[in-house]
Amino acid sequence: MTEEKGTKSAPAKKQKINLNRVEMPKQSEHERRHNFDEVALGYTWELAKEEASRCIQCKKRPCQQGCPVNIDIPDFIAALQREDVEEAARILKRKTSLPGVCGRVCPQELQCENACTLNKKGAPVAIGRLERFIADWERTQGAPTMPEMAPSTGKKVAVVGSGPSGLTVASDLAILGHQVVLFEALHVAGGVLMYGIPQFRLPKEIVQREVQYVQSLGVDLRLNTVIGINYSLDELLRTDYDAVYLAPGAGLPKFLGVPGENLNMVYSANEFLTRTNLMKAYRYPEYATPIKMGKKVAVIGGGNVAMDAARCAVRLGAQEVYVIYRRTRAEMPARLEEVENAEEEGIEFHFLCNPTAFLSDGRNNVAAMELIRMKLTEPDESGRRRPVPIPGSEYILDVDTVVVSLGTSPNPLIPSTTPDLNVTRWGTVVTDERGRTSKARVWAGGDIVSGGATVISAMGEGRIAAASMHEFLSNGQKKIIPPSPATDDPKTL
Amino acid sequence: MYSIVEHEVLAPRVHRLRVQAPVVAEKAKPGQFVILIIDEKGERVPFTISDWDSEAGTVDFVFIEVGKTTQQLATMQPGDQLLSFIGPLGRPAEVGQFGHVVSVLSGYGIAAMVPILKALKDNGNTLTTIVQAPDQDRLFGQKPLEELSDTLILALGTQGDGMMESTTVAMRKLLNQHPKRRIDRVIAMCSLCLMRVLSEMTRPYAIKTMVHLTPVMVDGTGMCGACRLSVGRTNRFACVHGPEFDGHEVDGWEVLMARRCTYADESILQQGFQCRGCSQW
Repeated sequence: MTEEKGTKSAPAKKQKINLNRVEMPKQSEHERRHNFDEVALGYTWELAKEEASRCIQCKKRPCQQGCPVNIDIPDFIAALQREDVEEAARILKRKTSLPGVCGRVCPQELQCENACTLNKKGAPVAIGRLERFIADWERTQGAPTMPEMAPSTGKKVAVVGSGPSGLTVASDLAILGHQVVLFEALHVAGGVLMYGIPQFRLPKEIVQREVQYVQSLGVDLRLNTVIGINYSLDELLRTDYDAVYLAPGAGLPKFLGVPGENLNMVYSANEFLTRTNLMKAYRYPEYATPIKMGKKVAVIGGGNVAMDAARCAVRLGAQEVYVIYRRTRAEMPARLEEVENAEEEGIEFHFLCNPTAFLSDGRNNVAAMELIRMKLTEPDESGRRRPVPIPGSEYILDVDTVVVSLGTSPNPLIPSTTPDLNVTRWGTVVTDERGRTSKARVWAGGDIVSGGATVISAMGEGRIAAASMHEFLSNGQKKIIPPSPATDDPKTL
Repeated sequence: MYSIVEHEVLAPRVHRLRVQAPVVAEKAKPGQFVILIIDEKGERVPFTISDWDSEAGTVDFVFIEVGKTTQQLATMQPGDQLLSFIGPLGRPAEVGQFGHVVSVLSGYGIAAMVPILKALKDNGNTLTTIVQAPDQDRLFGQKPLEELSDTLILALGTQGDGMMESTTVAMRKLLNQHPKRRIDRVIAMCSLCLMRVLSEMTRPYAIKTMVHLTPVMVDGTGMCGACRLSVGRTNRFACVHGPEFDGHEVDGWEVLMARRCTYADESILQQGFQCRGCSQW
């Protein structure tokens, strides 16, 4: 790429804008098809310096506004430009406790990098890769930088769910001096970062390292504890806790509701990924959890989870892996980078088709599926082109394993055991713009509110709720009931 | 970590473990289950709770050695630690005032049913219990059943001289007396095949028949969808909507049986755990 005119629109700096984004080395597609090691290898110090030098430090800081947790992006890049990685890490940690995670799985192309001034030239600064570099540098070379901790406030908070949203609230409130207990239903912390996102995209050691960092802030992590069963929300509020943050996620898998969907070897993406990632089935029998998979695997859906499932199937030894999506490539919700990775790994994409039935081999194992071709309508009022089936276009595709990846709905456990918590008809918890629910002293965020979104948006909601909770807890003397979007029962206090 | 405080061998390959788990014991109710993980490399495996003591903070469960995890559990001794022990999961069993309740038990169900029977007894029900075991040596836990049941029928030995009666024959006899000697409810906690057969036997009499279904499970809290089954033409998850279901409402037993067998490997088949006539094996 060459420089073009238009340097006028750039800030009044003499240096020329470098439009050559530094590529991040990756494992070759041939090699990575056979292992669960991380695909992207990360920048070296030389590459990171070179990429950081591209940042023009523009005054408007659009990248920071594009970040859901408002990371001081120009500042940490400036620190890299000064070759002070430790300072860069400190700046990063001011706004995120999970830089190693964010640097890997955030959809930067839609957020900070989309807002980057250089994006107008098509070559935004690779902010995500730089963030990842700093986090990895700190993990491998430096001592973890610790934030300044506020003195104890004597207030106690329960955080339900240790996924990205819960971890953010737990660390924010701990730094602000509150005593935090973080409850997790599974046997390890991290939520979707552990059970959902595969090792080759987000190594579990990195997640655990960041969980340990949150614990090092004084957060008391209680695993194997299911809120809604072991303690109801009211029990938490009645006993020790001044406030509660709900982030139990959207665990419940969705299905198509077509005949044969419960046949053997039809998996939900959650089961397939949980076996593979959380329970390490790819290292069976060293790890005791098995996973059974055939040779021809179809993954239904077009999101990041579908890409993860398809790429896991490749690594588990499938001969053919198809991604079945009812719209076209342009509408796929998955990150472009992951779609490209999937294509490089030999995954076949079937667009504009949708399963209408799963067929049995006679012994109740899936042997094939019936698909119908789809077409997109003209854009409707919302501007969306809806997929509609083309009558009579059904056809059969032989498969022996199916992974259904159509998204999830909120886990109903807490709402169902908390009658005075307002939920929508989709089961998501209703909150106001600061994360407050209809129930006094209860905030919520992450997928239980959004119904299924990204790691960083869950963190962003956590950050806002933590600020709101802190404000409430700081006024605790007056026993203020937080104003809430719906009816409030003061008796619950 | 969760300490094992007792280990009793009840019959060949049948064990009872008592685990220190106060948080689980505190909330346990009849018919609920736990998910445990032995160690870092272990799998998540569900077991129905057979007893608990909320004061001592302990939970009991009974298991039969079938695969790798249960064989490993069988070697564990008091003082050993389990990595994870989550529960009580699932909905408690219905234990209302029904009248005459007939329950059919085999395997781990012989022990796991005891808390349900206790609660039913406390609610004033009359209890008839049919227990199936391959032979007298492999029958265990008879005493609490004798104490709780108004009538206890042992269906022992399907082969050889010891054969007295099969479960279905005993059930047929009881059904023949209905409605003179009225049966108000049947509860089955036994093999999937037997639960299916029993559900079909009671259907013409419209006797409500509850079955305890334990499909393959991973997380046990409604997240993975592994334990889904069709009940009343709706998809249900055994871990959150069950494990107790109305046997007359269960659709597609064959599919359920196939799913149950997904991870039944050679090591299980060799031990003769096949149910006769099952299409999967």
